[in-house]
Amino acid sequence: MQILARQINVLDYALSSLWRRRMKNLSVLLVFTAVIFLVASFQMTTGALTRTAERVLENAPQITLQRMSAGRQVDIPPEYAARLSSIYGISRIVPRVWGYYFDEVTGANLTVMGLATDRMPMGDQLHLALASGSFPGPGSRGSVVLGRAVNDMVQARGSHLLSLFRNDLSMASFEISGVFADATDILTRDLVVMNIDDARDLFRIRGDRATDLCVYVTNPNEINTIARKIADLLPDTRVVTRPQILKTYRVVFGWRSGFGSICLLTALTAFIILAWDKASGLSQEEKREIAILKVLGWQTADILAVRFWESLLVSGISFLVGVTLAFIHVAFFDAALFRPIMVGWSVIFPPFHLVPEMTAQVVLLIFCLSVLPYLAATVIPAWHTASVPADSALSGA
Amino acid sequence: MLIELESVTKIYNQGRPNEVRALDAIDLRIGAETMVCLRGASGSGKSTLLSIIGCIFPPTSGRAAIAGRKLSRLPDRFLTLHRRRTIGFIFQRFNLLPELTVLDNITLPLLPLGVGPADRRARARELMERFGIIHRENFRAAQVSGGELQRVAIARALINDPPIILADEPTAHLDSRLSHVFMDLMAELRAAGKTIVITSHDPLVTEHPAIERIIDIRDGRIHAA
Repeated sequence: MQILARQINVLDYALSSLWRRRMKNLSVLLVFTAVIFLVASFQMTTGALTRTAERVLENAPQITLQRMSAGRQVDIPPEYAARLSSIYGISRIVPRVWGYYFDEVTGANLTVMGLATDRMPMGDQLHLALASGSFPGPGSRGSVVLGRAVNDMVQARGSHLLSLFRNDLSMASFEISGVFADATDILTRDLVVMNIDDARDLFRIRGDRATDLCVYVTNPNEINTIARKIADLLPDTRVVTRPQILKTYRVVFGWRSGFGSICLLTALTAFIILAWDKASGLSQEEKREIAILKVLGWQTADILAVRFWESLLVSGISFLVGVTLAFIHVAFFDAALFRPIMVGWSVIFPPFHLVPEMTAQVVLLIFCLSVLPYLAATVIPAWHTASVPADSALSGA
Repeated sequence: MLIELESVTKIYNQGRPNEVRALDAIDLRIGAETMVCLRGASGSGKSTLLSIIGCIFPPTSGRAAIAGRKLSRLPDRFLTLHRRRTIGFIFQRFNLLPELTVLDNITLPLLPLGVGPADRRARARELMERFGIIHRENFRAAQVSGGELQRVAIARALINDPPIILADEPTAHLDSRLSHVFMDLMAELRAAGKTIVITSHDPLVTEHPAIERIIDIRDGRIHAA
């Protein structure tokens, strides 16, 4: 009980000491909070982007096949699908139409995807990616599912129909049957999903052709092997696997996050070196205080405990405030400060909403990168400074 | 004897080119409930002697026993523990922490003992009333007068109720009126059963009637006791 009471007294003294030097401590707190906020924002933004990409790609085909001619993508005739059926391990081949539509009124580029949902595995679960409505039923024509930005655009016109022009300038109108959830924004914000026959009609693609073939395999571990076999069998095609797409996202976000983190960690390191430097050199006033306390019966351990509590309070408050601000920054402001750096204008142009990932791993990582080094940088040198000889308080020293 | 020193020597920086022999074979015995003055010029070794009596550090050689404890056998941690219970210090310029309140300054020695806030306040108030500074309880030390500071310092030295009070040049920065007040307070404490050791070369201290014994120190040696 006495040990506890003593620690409470020491904590009490540490609080009063912090208050006595409030201007100095407040400036340390503000700088430290700002650095933690920046590091945490970077970590959370990376996590949010990667997780969003993973979530969206859960429904993507395991292998996507595109036919190339003269280095450009061309339609795939139906016999390509027939030839693929000879490869063991492929469970399903589904044609897909993927194209871009330039809306002259808004100047926006829309991504149009024509799906044969009845032939897709888990096609009945696609509605899970929607915030409202449903996917067009099998064979159902004339309706679309929209990304949030496209839906906003249609709503702004005061219409319930999406009207698009075919190549011959005739108009095709579609009812809106559903809207994608914001968690999928990274890939769906500018997306228009429709029946594959509607897409063929819109882009004037022959009725038995597609722009892509979506290949599904029985054993997910065999994706790369089967992709290699496809590339060997159909050398004029480009074969893209889902793990490759995911890896690309991770590499892009990881590289950018790593670059940003290195810059910020340099700032954090500089701050901690400064804290170390400050802690190792005491002012005359601080030396005098330590000497007085020691003569009055305080042990070196008591003085170290005061320094520990002071540092823990400063770094703990900075950590909590910094991480909370970072969460707000990512969740409510879509990481506005880092978005251009992390996403890149040329990679994903349309805006999207970030859903922050606040995992224990991320929090622990930030804690280990900020609070622990700060504690070490302030308490370890205090060991030296707390050994100010008690007799220096005598004779006016 | 409450304070017993036998052949006590203190050497700073021993074995180095800047070695200093601050005390040389000091023999000193001070009984309980006495008031003693260590007199000597600056650099004579009186503050070093006070530090050994105050359990701040042990002697380099010789035997020192304070309130029944042999200092040479105590590691630093136990010296501190012994000092907490046995010694009350009054410093030159009083060495209060100016940003702390009078109450907080007085209770500083109680914090490492784990004494709770209510008990600390009660003990401090008793002393503040005794020395007439209760009205300054929540004033910062920087805001009170020299005479009040003096009494705050004495209250802080007494808060643990130690048997020995050590005062290091306490009147060096006081005018004669406050010096008299200080010595009268010391005389009261002596009458109340404390043992008091004061270092000074101020005649107001050395010639005060309450001083029972003057010990002259020169070049680290006792010349008259």
